[in-house]
Amino acid sequence: MRVLSTVPWTLRRMSRDYLVLLLLLGVPIVLLSLFSYLMGNAMAESGRLLFHDTAQQMIMSFQLFSGSVVMSYLYYDLFTEKRMRIFTLPFNKSLYAFSIMLCGTVYSLVLGVLLMTYAQLVLGVVWEHWVWMSYNLLLLSVVSSIVSLILMFSVRSFKTAERLTEIYGVGFIVLAGLFFPMPDNAVMNFLGSYGNPLTLSDGAVTAMANGEAGEAWLQANVLAAASLVLFPLMLLLGRRKMR
Amino acid sequence: MTIFEFALKRSFGNPTNLIFLSLFPLAAIFLPQSELWPALPYGYHYFGILLLFVAIRLTAILIEDRTSGIVKRLAVAPITHFSYLSQNLLAFACILVLQCTVVVAGGVLYGQELGQPLMLLVLYVSFAFTALAMAVAWVALYRSKEIAFLVYMTIIVLLSLLGGMLFPVEMIPEPLSRVIMVLPTYWLTDGMAWVTSGGDLLDFWLANGVLWLYTIIFLTLGSVRKIH
Repeated sequence: MRVLSTVPWTLRRMSRDYLVLLLLLGVPIVLLSLFSYLMGNAMAESGRLLFHDTAQQMIMSFQLFSGSVVMSYLYYDLFTEKRMRIFTLPFNKSLYAFSIMLCGTVYSLVLGVLLMTYAQLVLGVVWEHWVWMSYNLLLLSVVSSIVSLILMFSVRSFKTAERLTEIYGVGFIVLAGLFFPMPDNAVMNFLGSYGNPLTLSDGAVTAMANGEAGEAWLQANVLAAASLVLFPLMLLLGRRKMR
Repeated sequence: MTIFEFALKRSFGNPTNLIFLSLFPLAAIFLPQSELWPALPYGYHYFGILLLFVAIRLTAILIEDRTSGIVKRLAVAPITHFSYLSQNLLAFACILVLQCTVVVAGGVLYGQELGQPLMLLVLYVSFAFTALAMAVAWVALYRSKEIAFLVYMTIIVLLSLLGGMLFPVEMIPEPLSRVIMVLPTYWLTDGMAWVTSGGDLLDFWLANGVLWLYTIIFLTLGSVRKIH
Protein backbone atom coordinates (compact mmCIF):
# COMPACT_ATOMS: atom_id res chain seq x y z
CA MET A 1 0.00 0.00 0.00
CA ARG A 2 2.99 2.26 0.44
CA VAL A 3 3.34 2.42 -3.31
CA LEU A 4 -0.06 4.09 -3.41
CA SER A 5 1.33 7.18 -1.68
CA THR A 6 3.78 7.69 -4.55
CA VAL A 7 1.02 7.82 -7.18
CA PRO A 8 0.06 11.49 -6.67
CA TRP A 9 3.72 12.41 -7.02
CA THR A 10 4.14 10.44 -10.21
CA LEU A 11 1.06 12.11 -11.65
CA ARG A 12 2.32 15.52 -10.56
CA ARG A 13 5.69 14.86 -12.20
CA MET A 14 3.99 13.82 -15.40
CA SER A 15 1.70 16.82 -15.52
CA ARG A 16 4.71 19.14 -15.17
CA ASP A 17 6.70 17.55 -17.97
CA TYR A 18 6.32 20.40 -20.42
CA LEU A 19 8.12 18.73 -23.30
CA VAL A 20 5.72 15.76 -23.24
CA LEU A 21 2.77 18.13 -22.97
CA LEU A 22 4.05 20.05 -25.97
CA LEU A 23 4.61 16.93 -28.06
CA LEU A 24 1.54 14.89 -27.09
CA LEU A 25 -0.98 17.68 -26.48
CA GLY A 26 0.24 20.94 -28.06
CA VAL A 27 1.31 19.49 -31.39
CA PRO A 28 -1.85 17.38 -31.88
CA ILE A 29 -4.03 20.41 -31.11
CA VAL A 30 -2.18 22.49 -33.70
CA LEU A 31 -2.31 19.66 -36.25
CA LEU A 32 -6.00 18.96 -35.62
CA SER A 33 -6.87 22.64 -35.99
CA LEU A 34 -4.82 22.89 -39.15
CA PHE A 35 -6.39 19.82 -40.72
CA SER A 36 -9.84 21.00 -39.74
CA TYR A 37 -9.14 24.36 -41.39
CA LEU A 38 -7.77 22.74 -44.54
CA MET A 39 -10.48 20.10 -44.93
CA GLY A 40 -13.35 22.41 -44.16
CA ASN A 41 -16.71 20.73 -44.52
CA ALA A 42 -15.72 18.10 -47.11
CA MET A 43 -17.84 14.96 -46.74
CA ALA A 44 -16.63 11.37 -46.98
CA GLU A 45 -18.57 8.65 -48.85
CA SER A 46 -19.86 7.33 -45.53
CA GLY A 47 -21.75 10.59 -44.99
CA ARG A 48 -19.53 11.76 -42.15
CA LEU A 49 -17.20 14.73 -42.19
CA LEU A 50 -13.94 13.80 -43.93
CA PHE A 51 -12.17 15.46 -41.05
CA HIS A 52 -13.94 13.13 -38.58
CA ASP A 53 -11.95 10.11 -39.78
CA THR A 54 -8.71 12.06 -39.90
CA ALA A 55 -9.18 13.42 -36.40
CA GLN A 56 -9.98 9.93 -35.09
CA GLN A 57 -6.88 8.46 -36.70
CA MET A 58 -4.68 11.28 -35.45
CA ILE A 59 -5.87 11.07 -31.84
CA MET A 60 -5.33 7.30 -31.97
CA SER A 61 -1.89 7.67 -33.57
CA PHE A 62 -0.61 9.82 -30.74
CA GLN A 63 -1.45 7.05 -28.26
CA LEU A 64 1.21 4.91 -29.94
CA PHE A 65 3.84 7.21 -28.42
CA SER A 66 2.43 7.04 -24.89
CA GLY A 67 4.86 4.25 -24.04
CA SER A 68 7.81 6.59 -24.26
CA VAL A 69 6.57 8.51 -21.20
CA VAL A 70 6.34 5.35 -19.09
CA MET A 71 9.68 4.19 -20.39
CA SER A 72 11.60 7.34 -19.56
CA TYR A 73 10.14 7.60 -16.03
CA LEU A 74 10.94 3.96 -15.29
CA TYR A 75 14.42 4.39 -16.68
CA TYR A 76 15.24 7.44 -14.57
CA ASP A 77 13.79 5.92 -11.41
CA LEU A 78 15.08 2.38 -11.63
CA PHE A 79 18.19 2.40 -13.81
CA THR A 80 20.05 5.68 -13.26
CA GLU A 81 21.69 7.18 -10.15
CA LYS A 82 18.23 7.34 -8.57
CA ARG A 83 18.17 3.52 -8.54
CA MET A 84 19.92 3.15 -5.19
CA ARG A 85 17.65 5.69 -3.50
CA ILE A 86 14.53 4.00 -4.80
CA PHE A 87 15.84 0.58 -3.82
CA THR A 88 16.38 1.67 -0.20
CA LEU A 89 12.74 2.65 0.14
CA PRO A 90 10.53 0.16 1.99
CA PHE A 91 8.18 -0.81 -0.83
CA ASN A 92 7.84 -3.41 -3.52
CA LYS A 93 9.85 -2.28 -6.54
CA SER A 94 7.89 -4.27 -9.09
CA LEU A 95 4.69 -2.77 -7.74
CA TYR A 96 6.25 0.71 -7.99
CA ALA A 97 7.21 0.06 -11.60
CA PHE A 98 3.67 -1.16 -12.23
CA SER A 99 2.22 1.98 -10.65
CA ILE A 100 4.33 4.17 -12.95
CA MET A 101 3.07 2.16 -15.89
CA LEU A 102 -0.54 2.60 -14.80
CA CYS A 103 -0.05 6.33 -14.22
CA GLY A 104 1.54 6.74 -17.65
CA THR A 105 -1.32 4.88 -19.30
CA VAL A 106 -3.97 6.91 -17.51
CA TYR A 107 -2.07 10.12 -18.27
CA SER A 108 -1.98 9.24 -21.94
CA LEU A 109 -5.69 8.40 -21.88
CA VAL A 110 -6.43 11.77 -20.28
CA LEU A 111 -4.46 13.52 -23.03
CA GLY A 112 -6.43 11.54 -25.63
CA VAL A 113 -9.77 12.48 -24.03
CA LEU A 114 -8.67 16.13 -23.89
CA LEU A 115 -7.98 15.97 -27.61
CA MET A 116 -11.40 14.40 -28.21
CA THR A 117 -13.02 17.16 -26.18
CA TYR A 118 -11.12 19.81 -28.13
CA ALA A 119 -12.14 18.23 -31.43
CA GLN A 120 -15.81 18.13 -30.40
CA LEU A 121 -16.13 21.52 -28.74
CA VAL A 122 -13.89 23.61 -30.97
CA LEU A 123 -13.68 21.79 -34.28
CA GLY A 124 -17.21 20.41 -34.40
CA VAL A 125 -16.46 16.68 -34.67
CA VAL A 126 -19.28 14.71 -33.07
CA TRP A 127 -18.00 11.51 -31.47
CA GLU A 128 -20.74 8.87 -31.54
CA HIS A 129 -19.57 6.77 -28.59
CA TRP A 130 -17.39 8.59 -26.09
CA VAL A 131 -16.97 5.63 -23.74
CA TRP A 132 -16.19 3.18 -26.52
CA MET A 133 -13.62 5.47 -28.07
CA SER A 134 -12.01 6.12 -24.66
CA TYR A 135 -11.90 2.37 -24.02
CA ASN A 136 -10.08 1.89 -27.32
CA LEU A 137 -7.67 4.73 -26.55
CA LEU A 138 -6.96 2.99 -23.25
CA LEU A 139 -6.32 -0.36 -24.95
CA LEU A 140 -3.98 1.28 -27.42
CA SER A 141 -2.11 3.09 -24.69
CA VAL A 142 -1.79 -0.12 -22.63
CA VAL A 143 -0.41 -2.06 -25.60
CA SER A 144 2.00 0.77 -26.44
CA SER A 145 3.26 0.97 -22.86
CA ILE A 146 3.81 -2.78 -22.71
CA VAL A 147 5.61 -2.85 -26.05
CA SER A 148 7.84 0.07 -25.06
CA LEU A 149 8.75 -1.58 -21.77
CA ILE A 150 9.48 -4.89 -23.49
CA LEU A 151 11.80 -3.03 -25.86
CA MET A 152 13.48 -1.22 -22.98
CA PHE A 153 13.98 -4.39 -20.93
CA SER A 154 15.31 -6.38 -23.84
CA VAL A 155 18.00 -4.06 -25.22
CA ARG A 156 21.03 -2.88 -23.30
CA SER A 157 21.11 0.83 -24.12
CA PHE A 158 18.25 3.17 -23.32
CA LYS A 159 18.98 5.24 -26.43
CA THR A 160 18.41 2.18 -28.63
CA ALA A 161 15.16 1.47 -26.81
CA GLU A 162 13.99 5.05 -27.46
CA ARG A 163 14.75 4.73 -31.16
CA LEU A 164 12.96 1.36 -31.28
CA THR A 165 9.81 2.81 -29.72
CA GLU A 166 9.89 5.60 -32.29
CA ILE A 167 10.15 2.99 -35.02
CA TYR A 168 7.24 1.11 -33.42
CA GLY A 169 5.10 4.27 -33.40
CA VAL A 170 5.96 5.69 -36.80
CA GLY A 171 6.19 2.20 -38.32
CA PHE A 172 2.62 1.24 -37.45
CA ILE A 173 1.34 4.60 -38.70
CA VAL A 174 3.09 3.96 -42.02
CA LEU A 175 1.90 0.34 -42.09
CA ALA A 176 -1.66 1.51 -41.52
CA GLY A 177 -1.29 3.30 -44.86
CA LEU A 178 -1.84 6.81 -43.55
CA PHE A 179 1.05 8.33 -45.52
CA PHE A 180 0.86 6.24 -48.67
CA PRO A 181 -0.83 2.98 -49.68
CA MET A 182 1.09 -0.16 -48.78
CA PRO A 183 1.79 -2.92 -51.34
CA ASP A 184 -1.03 -5.39 -51.75
CA ASN A 185 0.20 -8.73 -50.41
CA ALA A 186 -0.76 -11.05 -47.56
CA VAL A 187 1.89 -9.86 -45.08
CA MET A 188 1.24 -6.16 -45.68
CA ASN A 189 -2.51 -6.64 -45.60
CA PHE A 190 -2.22 -8.37 -42.22
CA LEU A 191 0.03 -5.62 -40.87
CA GLY A 192 -2.45 -3.04 -42.17
CA SER A 193 -5.46 -4.68 -40.54
CA TYR A 194 -5.49 -7.27 -37.72
CA GLY A 195 -1.76 -7.10 -37.09
CA ASN A 196 -1.69 -3.39 -36.40
CA PRO A 197 -2.84 -1.91 -33.06
CA LEU A 198 -3.66 1.42 -34.70
CA THR A 199 -5.98 0.00 -37.36
CA LEU A 200 -7.53 -2.38 -34.82
CA SER A 201 -8.62 0.38 -32.46
CA ASP A 202 -9.50 2.71 -35.29
CA GLY A 203 -11.53 -0.06 -36.93
CA ALA A 204 -13.27 -0.88 -33.65
CA VAL A 205 -14.41 2.72 -33.19
CA THR A 206 -15.53 3.06 -36.82
CA ALA A 207 -17.39 -0.28 -36.69
CA MET A 208 -19.24 0.76 -33.52
CA ALA A 209 -20.17 4.09 -35.14
CA ASN A 210 -21.58 2.13 -38.09
CA GLY A 211 -23.64 -0.04 -35.75
CA GLU A 212 -21.59 -3.23 -36.22
CA ALA A 213 -21.13 -4.08 -32.55
CA GLY A 214 -19.87 -7.62 -33.22
CA GLU A 215 -17.04 -6.50 -35.47
CA ALA A 216 -16.20 -3.66 -33.08
CA TRP A 217 -15.87 -6.02 -30.10
CA LEU A 218 -13.85 -8.49 -32.17
CA GLN A 219 -11.25 -5.87 -33.11
CA ALA A 220 -11.05 -4.43 -29.59
CA ASN A 221 -10.74 -7.91 -28.11
CA VAL A 222 -7.85 -8.77 -30.41
CA LEU A 223 -6.07 -5.74 -28.99
CA ALA A 224 -6.97 -6.70 -25.42
CA ALA A 225 -5.74 -10.25 -26.06
CA ALA A 226 -2.46 -8.90 -27.43
CA SER A 227 -1.85 -6.94 -24.25
CA LEU A 228 -2.76 -9.97 -22.12
CA VAL A 229 -0.23 -12.09 -24.04
CA LEU A 230 2.50 -9.45 -23.95
CA PHE A 231 2.07 -8.57 -20.27
CA PRO A 232 3.66 -11.74 -18.80
CA LEU A 233 6.55 -11.36 -21.24
CA MET A 234 7.08 -7.81 -20.03
CA LEU A 235 6.94 -8.97 -16.41
CA LEU A 236 9.50 -11.68 -17.07
CA LEU A 237 11.93 -9.41 -18.88
CA GLY A 238 11.43 -6.61 -16.35
CA ARG A 239 12.14 -8.81 -13.33
CA ARG A 240 15.31 -10.08 -14.98
CA LYS A 241 16.48 -6.55 -15.75
CA MET A 242 15.59 -5.03 -12.37
CA ARG A 243 17.49 -7.57 -10.33
CA MET B 1 41.05 18.81 -43.04
CA THR B 2 41.17 16.77 -39.81
CA ILE B 3 37.85 18.13 -38.58
CA PHE B 4 36.26 17.28 -41.93
CA GLU B 5 37.44 13.70 -41.66
CA PHE B 6 36.25 13.34 -38.09
CA ALA B 7 32.88 14.90 -38.88
CA LEU B 8 32.42 12.22 -41.56
CA LYS B 9 33.50 9.45 -39.22
CA ARG B 10 31.30 10.67 -36.38
CA SER B 11 28.30 11.00 -38.69
CA PHE B 12 28.54 7.39 -39.77
CA GLY B 13 29.57 6.06 -36.35
CA ASN B 14 26.11 6.27 -34.82
CA PRO B 15 23.82 3.31 -35.66
CA THR B 16 20.65 5.44 -35.88
CA ASN B 17 22.44 7.82 -38.24
CA LEU B 18 23.49 4.90 -40.37
CA ILE B 19 19.84 3.97 -40.86
CA PHE B 20 18.95 7.58 -41.72
CA LEU B 21 21.91 7.98 -44.06
CA SER B 22 21.76 4.71 -45.94
CA LEU B 23 18.64 2.62 -45.37
CA PHE B 24 15.95 5.30 -45.69
CA PRO B 25 17.25 6.88 -48.92
CA LEU B 26 17.56 3.43 -50.48
CA ALA B 27 14.02 2.58 -49.39
CA ALA B 28 12.82 5.86 -50.92
CA ILE B 29 13.92 4.70 -54.37
CA PHE B 30 11.57 1.73 -54.36
CA LEU B 31 8.36 3.33 -53.07
CA PRO B 32 5.54 3.18 -55.63
CA GLN B 33 3.99 5.88 -57.80
CA SER B 34 0.61 7.30 -56.84
CA GLU B 35 -2.29 7.39 -59.28
CA LEU B 36 -3.56 10.88 -58.48
CA TRP B 37 -1.38 12.89 -56.14
CA PRO B 38 1.61 13.45 -55.76
CA ALA B 39 2.99 13.52 -59.31
CA LEU B 40 6.38 12.18 -58.24
CA PRO B 41 6.67 8.68 -56.73
CA TYR B 42 6.08 8.74 -52.95
CA GLY B 43 9.73 8.19 -52.08
CA TYR B 44 10.73 11.26 -54.09
CA HIS B 45 7.88 13.40 -52.92
CA TYR B 46 8.72 12.72 -49.26
CA PHE B 47 12.48 12.90 -49.81
CA GLY B 48 12.51 16.56 -48.69
CA ILE B 49 11.17 15.53 -45.27
CA LEU B 50 13.93 12.94 -45.01
CA LEU B 51 16.50 15.62 -45.86
CA LEU B 52 15.17 17.81 -43.04
CA PHE B 53 15.54 14.91 -40.58
CA VAL B 54 18.99 13.95 -41.81
CA ALA B 55 20.17 17.56 -41.53
CA ILE B 56 19.08 17.91 -37.91
CA ARG B 57 20.62 14.54 -37.02
CA LEU B 58 23.93 15.50 -38.60
CA THR B 59 24.11 18.90 -36.96
CA ALA B 60 23.52 17.32 -33.55
CA ILE B 61 27.31 16.94 -33.56
CA LEU B 62 27.57 20.71 -33.17
CA ILE B 63 25.43 20.65 -30.01
CA GLU B 64 27.47 17.75 -28.66
CA ASP B 65 30.63 19.77 -29.19
CA ARG B 66 29.15 22.71 -27.37
CA THR B 67 27.83 20.80 -24.39
CA SER B 68 30.93 18.68 -23.95
CA GLY B 69 33.17 21.75 -23.99
CA ILE B 70 34.95 20.96 -27.23
CA VAL B 71 34.10 24.43 -28.59
CA LYS B 72 35.80 25.94 -25.55
CA ARG B 73 38.94 23.93 -26.18
CA LEU B 74 38.86 24.81 -29.85
CA ALA B 75 38.68 28.49 -28.93
CA VAL B 76 42.12 28.29 -27.35
CA ALA B 77 43.50 25.91 -29.99
CA PRO B 78 45.24 27.34 -33.05
CA ILE B 79 42.17 26.93 -35.26
CA THR B 80 39.59 29.49 -36.24
CA HIS B 81 35.89 29.07 -35.58
CA PHE B 82 35.35 29.61 -39.28
CA SER B 83 37.49 26.64 -40.19
CA TYR B 84 35.84 24.44 -37.53
CA LEU B 85 32.35 25.31 -38.76
CA SER B 86 33.12 25.22 -42.47
CA GLN B 87 34.81 21.81 -42.30
CA ASN B 88 31.91 20.36 -40.33
CA LEU B 89 29.39 21.85 -42.74
CA LEU B 90 31.38 20.66 -45.73
CA ALA B 91 31.27 17.10 -44.37
CA PHE B 92 27.50 17.29 -43.78
CA ALA B 93 26.96 18.83 -47.21
CA CYS B 94 29.00 16.08 -48.88
CA ILE B 95 26.85 13.44 -47.19
CA LEU B 96 23.61 15.16 -48.18
CA VAL B 97 24.67 15.74 -51.81
CA LEU B 98 25.81 12.14 -52.08
CA GLN B 99 22.44 11.03 -50.74
CA CYS B 100 20.55 13.15 -53.27
CA THR B 101 22.69 11.80 -56.10
CA VAL B 102 22.22 8.19 -55.04
CA VAL B 103 18.46 8.60 -54.75
CA VAL B 104 18.02 10.30 -58.14
CA ALA B 105 20.47 7.99 -59.94
CA GLY B 106 18.83 4.97 -58.32
CA GLY B 107 15.42 6.16 -59.47
CA VAL B 108 16.63 6.58 -63.05
CA LEU B 109 18.17 3.10 -63.06
CA TYR B 110 15.12 1.53 -61.40
CA GLY B 111 12.87 3.21 -63.97
CA GLN B 112 10.85 5.64 -61.84
CA GLU B 113 9.10 8.43 -63.70
CA LEU B 114 10.98 11.49 -62.51
CA GLY B 115 10.23 14.03 -65.23
CA GLN B 116 13.59 15.74 -65.56
CA PRO B 117 15.93 13.82 -63.23
CA LEU B 118 18.86 16.22 -63.59
CA MET B 119 16.74 19.21 -62.60
CA LEU B 120 15.28 17.21 -59.74
CA LEU B 121 18.82 16.57 -58.50
CA VAL B 122 19.62 20.30 -58.69
CA LEU B 123 16.47 21.06 -56.70
CA TYR B 124 17.23 18.41 -54.06
CA VAL B 125 20.77 19.75 -53.65
CA SER B 126 19.45 23.30 -53.21
CA PHE B 127 16.95 22.08 -50.63
CA ALA B 128 19.59 19.95 -48.89
CA PHE B 129 21.65 23.09 -48.30
CA THR B 130 18.59 24.96 -47.03
CA ALA B 131 17.76 22.09 -44.68
CA LEU B 132 21.34 22.06 -43.42
CA ALA B 133 21.39 25.82 -42.85
CA MET B 134 18.03 25.67 -41.03
CA ALA B 135 19.30 22.88 -38.80
CA VAL B 136 22.49 24.81 -38.00
CA ALA B 137 20.49 27.88 -37.06
CA TRP B 138 18.16 25.74 -34.96
CA VAL B 139 20.80 23.89 -32.97
CA ALA B 140 22.49 27.22 -32.18
CA LEU B 141 19.44 28.00 -30.01
CA TYR B 142 19.64 24.90 -27.82
CA ARG B 143 21.88 23.35 -25.22
CA SER B 144 20.27 19.93 -25.14
CA LYS B 145 20.41 17.62 -28.11
CA GLU B 146 17.20 15.76 -27.26
CA ILE B 147 15.03 18.83 -26.78
CA ALA B 148 16.39 20.46 -29.94
CA PHE B 149 15.59 17.33 -31.92
CA LEU B 150 12.11 16.76 -30.48
CA VAL B 151 10.95 20.34 -30.94
CA TYR B 152 12.42 20.46 -34.43
CA MET B 153 10.45 17.31 -35.23
CA THR B 154 7.22 19.25 -34.70
CA ILE B 155 8.58 22.08 -36.86
CA ILE B 156 9.30 19.55 -39.62
CA VAL B 157 5.74 18.23 -39.45
CA LEU B 158 4.30 21.74 -39.69
CA LEU B 159 6.71 22.77 -42.45
CA SER B 160 5.92 19.73 -44.56
CA LEU B 161 2.19 19.98 -43.92
CA LEU B 162 1.93 23.65 -44.85
CA GLY B 163 4.53 23.45 -47.60
CA GLY B 164 2.32 21.05 -49.51
CA MET B 165 4.29 17.87 -48.93
CA LEU B 166 1.52 15.95 -47.14
CA PHE B 167 -1.33 17.84 -48.78
CA PRO B 168 -1.75 19.40 -52.24
CA VAL B 169 -1.02 23.13 -52.01
CA GLU B 170 -4.15 23.85 -54.06
CA MET B 171 -6.34 22.64 -51.18
CA ILE B 172 -5.08 25.36 -48.87
CA PRO B 173 -7.62 28.22 -48.68
CA GLU B 174 -6.84 31.74 -49.85
CA PRO B 175 -5.41 33.82 -46.99
CA LEU B 176 -3.18 30.98 -45.79
CA SER B 177 -2.05 30.02 -49.28
CA ARG B 178 -0.27 33.38 -49.58
CA VAL B 179 1.33 33.15 -46.15
CA ILE B 180 2.88 29.75 -46.82
CA MET B 181 5.01 31.22 -49.59
CA VAL B 182 7.49 32.20 -46.88
CA LEU B 183 8.20 28.52 -46.13
CA PRO B 184 11.21 26.84 -47.77
CA THR B 185 9.17 23.66 -48.23
CA TYR B 186 6.69 25.57 -50.38
CA TRP B 187 9.48 26.35 -52.83
CA LEU B 188 10.59 22.73 -52.83
CA THR B 189 7.11 21.54 -53.80
CA ASP B 190 6.92 24.38 -56.31
CA GLY B 191 10.16 23.17 -57.90
CA MET B 192 8.98 19.55 -57.85
CA ALA B 193 5.79 20.57 -59.66
CA TRP B 194 7.99 22.19 -62.35
CA VAL B 195 10.12 19.04 -62.64
CA THR B 196 7.09 16.86 -63.36
CA SER B 197 4.91 19.18 -65.42
CA GLY B 198 7.43 21.55 -66.99
CA GLY B 199 6.82 25.24 -67.71
CA ASP B 200 8.84 28.41 -67.70
CA LEU B 201 12.48 27.66 -66.83
CA LEU B 202 12.63 30.91 -64.91
CA ASP B 203 10.13 29.57 -62.37
CA PHE B 204 12.42 26.67 -61.61
CA TRP B 205 15.41 28.92 -61.02
CA LEU B 206 13.28 31.22 -58.92
CA ALA B 207 12.45 28.31 -56.59
CA ASN B 208 16.15 27.40 -56.38
CA GLY B 209 17.09 31.03 -55.83
CA VAL B 210 14.69 31.39 -52.91
CA LEU B 211 16.08 28.21 -51.37
CA TRP B 212 19.64 29.55 -51.65
CA LEU B 213 18.56 32.85 -50.16
CA TYR B 214 17.21 30.98 -47.16
CA THR B 215 20.44 29.02 -46.97
CA ILE B 216 22.47 32.22 -46.69
CA ILE B 217 20.15 33.78 -44.12
CA PHE B 218 20.01 30.73 -41.85
CA LEU B 219 23.71 30.02 -42.18
CA THR B 220 24.51 33.56 -41.08
CA LEU B 221 22.17 33.20 -38.11
CA GLY B 222 23.58 29.82 -37.12
CA SER B 223 27.27 30.47 -37.54
CA VAL B 224 27.66 32.73 -34.51
CA ARG B 225 30.05 31.16 -32.06
CA LYS B 226 28.54 30.49 -28.65
CA ILE B 227 30.58 29.47 -25.66
CA HIS B 228 28.59 28.55 -22.59
